[in-house]
Amino acid sequence: MAGLQVEKRVKYKSSVKDPGTPGLLRIEVMLLFVPEDPKSDSKLKVQTQNIKSQKYTKEGSNKPPWLNLTNKQGRSHIFEFENYQDMHSCRDFITKALAKCEEEPKKPAVSTSSAEQLSIADFELRFKLLRENSELQRLHKQFVESKVLTEDEFWATRKKLLGKDSVRKSKQQLGLKSMMVSGIKPSTDGRTNRVTFNLTPEIIFQIFAEKPAVRQAFINYVPSKMTEKDFWTKYFRAEYLYSTKNTAVAAAEAAEDEELAVFLKPDEILAQEARQKIRRVDPTLDMEADQGDDYTHLMDHGIQRDGTLDLVEPKNDQFKRSLLQDLNRHAAVVLEGRSIDVESEDTRTVAEALTRVKQVSKADSEANQERLERISRVAGMEDLQEPQNFPLAPLSIKDPRDYFESQQGNVLNEPRGAGGLKRNIHEAYGLLKASILDIRTKGLCDPLIKPEVSFEVFSSLTRTISTAKNIIGKNPRESFLDRLPKATKDEVLHHWTSIQELLRHFWSSYPISTTYLHTKVGKLKDAMSNTYSQLEAMKESVQSDLRHQVSLLVRPMQQALDAAFQHYEADLQRRTAKSGGGERPNGCV
Amino acid sequence: MRKKKMIFKIEDVTVYFPYENIYPEQYEYMIELKRTLDAKGHCLLEMPTGTGKTIALLSLITSYRLSRPDSPIKLVYCTRTVHEMEKTLAELKVLHDYQVSQLGAQAKILAIGLSSRKNLCVNPKVLAAENRDSVDAACRKRTASWVRDMAVENKNVELCDYFENHEKAGENALLPPGVYTLEDLRTFGKNRGWCPYFLARHMVQFANVIVYSYQYLLDPKVAGIISKELQKESVVVFDEAHNIDNVCIEALSVSVRRVTLEGANRNLNKIRQEIDRFKATDAGRLRAEYNRLVEGLALRGDLSGTDQWLANPALPHDILKEAVPGNIRRAEHFVHVLRRLLQYLGGRLDTENVEKESPVSFVSSLNSQAGIEQKTLKFCYDRLHSLHVNPLKLQIQMNLCLFRQCATLQLLLGHMQGAFPSSLSLTTKECLIFQILYCSCHDASLAIKPVFDRFQSVVITSGTLSPIDLYPRLLSFNPVVSRSFKMSMTRDCICPMVLTRGSDQLPVSTKFDMRSDPGVVRNYGKLLVEMVSIVPDGVVCFFVSYSYMDGIIATWSETGILKEIMQQKLVFIETQDVVETTLALDNYRRACDRGRGAVFFSVARGKVAEGIDFDRHYGRLVVMYGVPFQYTLSKILLARLEYLRDTFQIKEGDFLTFDALRQAAQCVGRVIRSKADYGMMIFADKRYSRHDKRSKLPGWILSHLRDNLSTDMAIHIAREFLRKMAQPYDKAGTTMGKKTLLTQEDLDKMAETGVQDMVY
Repeated sequence: MAGLQVEKRVKYKSSVKDPGTPGLLRIEVMLLFVPEDPKSDSKLKVQTQNIKSQKYTKEGSNKPPWLNLTNKQGRSHIFEFENYQDMHSCRDFITKALAKCEEEPKKPAVSTSSAEQLSIADFELRFKLLRENSELQRLHKQFVESKVLTEDEFWATRKKLLGKDSVRKSKQQLGLKSMMVSGIKPSTDGRTNRVTFNLTPEIIFQIFAEKPAVRQAFINYVPSKMTEKDFWTKYFRAEYLYSTKNTAVAAAEAAEDEELAVFLKPDEILAQEARQKIRRVDPTLDMEADQGDDYTHLMDHGIQRDGTLDLVEPKNDQFKRSLLQDLNRHAAVVLEGRSIDVESEDTRTVAEALTRVKQVSKADSEANQERLERISRVAGMEDLQEPQNFPLAPLSIKDPRDYFESQQGNVLNEPRGAGGLKRNIHEAYGLLKASILDIRTKGLCDPLIKPEVSFEVFSSLTRTISTAKNIIGKNPRESFLDRLPKATKDEVLHHWTSIQELLRHFWSSYPISTTYLHTKVGKLKDAMSNTYSQLEAMKESVQSDLRHQVSLLVRPMQQALDAAFQHYEADLQRRTAKSGGGERPNGCV
Repeated sequence: MRKKKMIFKIEDVTVYFPYENIYPEQYEYMIELKRTLDAKGHCLLEMPTGTGKTIALLSLITSYRLSRPDSPIKLVYCTRTVHEMEKTLAELKVLHDYQVSQLGAQAKILAIGLSSRKNLCVNPKVLAAENRDSVDAACRKRTASWVRDMAVENKNVELCDYFENHEKAGENALLPPGVYTLEDLRTFGKNRGWCPYFLARHMVQFANVIVYSYQYLLDPKVAGIISKELQKESVVVFDEAHNIDNVCIEALSVSVRRVTLEGANRNLNKIRQEIDRFKATDAGRLRAEYNRLVEGLALRGDLSGTDQWLANPALPHDILKEAVPGNIRRAEHFVHVLRRLLQYLGGRLDTENVEKESPVSFVSSLNSQAGIEQKTLKFCYDRLHSLHVNPLKLQIQMNLCLFRQCATLQLLLGHMQGAFPSSLSLTTKECLIFQILYCSCHDASLAIKPVFDRFQSVVITSGTLSPIDLYPRLLSFNPVVSRSFKMSMTRDCICPMVLTRGSDQLPVSTKFDMRSDPGVVRNYGKLLVEMVSIVPDGVVCFFVSYSYMDGIIATWSETGILKEIMQQKLVFIETQDVVETTLALDNYRRACDRGRGAVFFSVARGKVAEGIDFDRHYGRLVVMYGVPFQYTLSKILLARLEYLRDTFQIKEGDFLTFDALRQAAQCVGRVIRSKADYGMMIFADKRYSRHDKRSKLPGWILSHLRDNLSTDMAIHIAREFLRKMAQPYDKAGTTMGKKTLLTQEDLDKMAETGVQDMVY
């Protein structure tokens, strides 16, 4: 850090409303603010290590360039810069300084930082979590920044998230969507023959991944030969030609336009990749090997079984590409997943990164070994031998709600006639209870639970995990929540999570044994009544045809809050009575 | 602690079985097999898929060999495809390891898989070639004797080091005992520097177990080269043999089209030029070839009736004793004959109508119009072979194969007609867009006859051989054992359904007048959409033909059904391009392994349906869309039906249904591999519920069949079934009265009390 320093003219504000004192901000080992007016007492010194976080206004927003630094004591300092460039340079500097500091606590010399002071790494982690999870961020903003909860309280209930491993594990890469690119329908304006395609980076990525020839063409042509827009126009022109299935026209156009022809010709790179891959394929399904083994595949041997031989005229054959091939290719790409980690808007970067990945993945020899092991493992018959223990992969359902809802849909979909067979939930419960008793008396045996029992229990469980929304929805698949306007839906969900959060803190504060908890409960109660009124307001504001459903949704939340209020009141009364009554320890409920 | 693997006695044979348990079916199967081996006869065994036929077979036959050390038998195991060969060898490896661990070195056997150059070659330069034929050609260019002669003089001629090393090692080039898959052979060859292909071919005579493709025994041309050294004391096994009649027929069928003829003409010109050149420069060599030919014929006369038999199955003894007709002895004359032949064929191709002819009339018209006698035809193939292998050192070998095809046709024609006057080989001309001359054989027994005659025991086995009495007739042999086994089930692990209607109660079918009905297409699509949302892991769909699949997928894609399917599972499709299909299959499996689940669209009678297993999570549901009838308008099929009617009194309709249903059963049977496995099968066509169709399904399907369902009912049944299957169950089936999984103790007990009362 030596010798490096940044000096900028800024306005210092102690709070958002503060008009600010103009002055000079100098950052080196510590952050130093010297006001222009020497009489002003807003001189400021902050150790960079003590800076916990920095926030800043986004460029392009109407706000002036502000940098908000929060130190570990929770105080924030706001600096208004003259321009964004200044702000960014300062910000970068602080980030670097923070990164340095992060390494330093490891050294024993700096172990002075006390236990309650969280390391920078922890903060970084918290911020990362907040950044990644918008729901969490909202909650954080709502409660921590409005001082309902302190920072530590907020995170205390989320220790799991802060665990080191979980962060690393949760970095599961998002897969690709199953939808085909060709499924993107162009939008027309209805009057002219013009069609518009909306290209997103996601789509471009998919096109590049599925069609290496297009990718290569992009690298070759853009921007030296044509603009990106022209490129895509050409591409979709070619796609259009395919969709018409008129190979003659395609051939004619390709003959005239060299670049267009690139899109229309069969993909040479793909063919090469296929040749590479076929060598690594599981030999127990390598049908290509058969081709070499008998010659019924040769043109004139054997009998054609499928009577409709389609031997098309080979001339325009290269302009014919089948839907089936596209489907296969698409599925293969989806299966491969997102092989690159480039979050770039720049199409060229994406294209180049993809090309690199493809080249790297070509060399692997131990895959062969693994393949052979797999064959010998699969060769055995599973139930004739002792069970082998395969390593288990943890199940990670991204959104459990989806899963259960789909299960419910299944159950509700069942035809009525089948109902007679089913036992009700009590019977299932009875069975479960009986078998638990059985286990108690006899101990565990194999199988652990009788298949019939578990079957019963499972089916009645899935049937009864039902809420109002499913029964009400016309189509059981689509829940009532989905029919709400998006804003309302989000609001409902947000209220739900925030009430959960509040209640969790609320109930965990009981029994109230310290004054700290007492104030906390007070704050929580205020926040809750605040939310309560918001819920009421939302119910009012919603459209009349949805109101009933919304109130149904909101009711359980309100009930939960009511229970909390009741408890609060009762406790308060008891406490006042007690404090009047005698010397009993605090908080005994 | 792990339980011990099994050793038990079947009569006087001690059987080593590499698992802790055995199915009662397998045990029964082994008993029947052993009786066959004792009787030195042929047998026909049908056992449902998913009961471990292969390991039972291997286990018994290798154990049988061990128990008779004085007269060791050789096992020739024929599979339809290379990947089945790999699977078999993998199972054999497990077995072999176990036997060696029990018995030590004396149990060691040599087992090899044999395949073409393309699958065995390790020379990178040769492998660079694209397809099989160019690999063959590239190999020959480096290994043919004349090339090697030339290389002695000229250092620039490129040879294959692997081949040279192998040649140098000569008789000492031996494989140590063990089980070698193709990959193992390649690795071994690479390490030792020997050519794996020639090594394997050399080892055929020493190997105890040979695993290779049907073609190596059935196709007369290949069998003559590869299989002629096999001893009589061999057991030949045709696994998955439900289609064996078709394979036999195909082995003896060829077609000729204009392109073929043109190619042949070009090649003939080249030969002509070469001969002229030789005449001018090196007449001695031609004469030598001529002499060798005459000598060779004499030699062959002596040998006929013994091992050479297999080389030319269609040749009866007396023909072998005949001499090559005079008019083709001299090379230049021979070329003239061939030219005339090509001209005649070209003339025949020029007609506008479909013509059908029996071999007798074809040959007689050939004789009258082109002046080529039948006897001449018989020798064309050998003559051509001798010509271009010996003196001409032709470097245009690859191109020659086209021409050889033509010649082959003539060879077959000539022989068949002469040998079996009553039969079956016939020529059809189809003038659709192309004029093609088909020579198709209709008698399946022709190709397989030499195999039955020559080997001690032939075992024909498959999961679906019903009706089992039909096969001996089609193949004309007398089995000593012919049995169909039932499957004992621990739980109802299969769930076959016949779906006749969609949710809207409209019938579904691929009948010609209904298949393009939008309602049917939609109902088929909806069925799949519903199914993919409830079935975990892999789903396989079979369609009746490529064109139908193409059409229906296009429609689904337009109507958005495909998109709905893709929301649940990835979609992979079999195409006519084998490389692409293989990759699609590989990806399909990976998708299933990862739990994402996938759908595979395939075609009944296609390559996938014939040989790929969709066991365990690779296939929990298989949907058969429609009844996979053969293309009934095909002239060839009609001719075959006519032949079957005249010869075996099999009605056309019966045969077509039988053929379609065995295909369907085969397709759906691919989902079960063991009793721990489970799967559903849907026959989606209203015609399946008719008695004549349904009764032709194998018994193990029939006994569980739920008939006449609509889509919603099928969905309901599927849900119940899947939930039931997800539960743990009693594997041994002890509670149900009859055992479905036997342990060592059970077998010991059975040996004391007698077999029958335990098993069923």
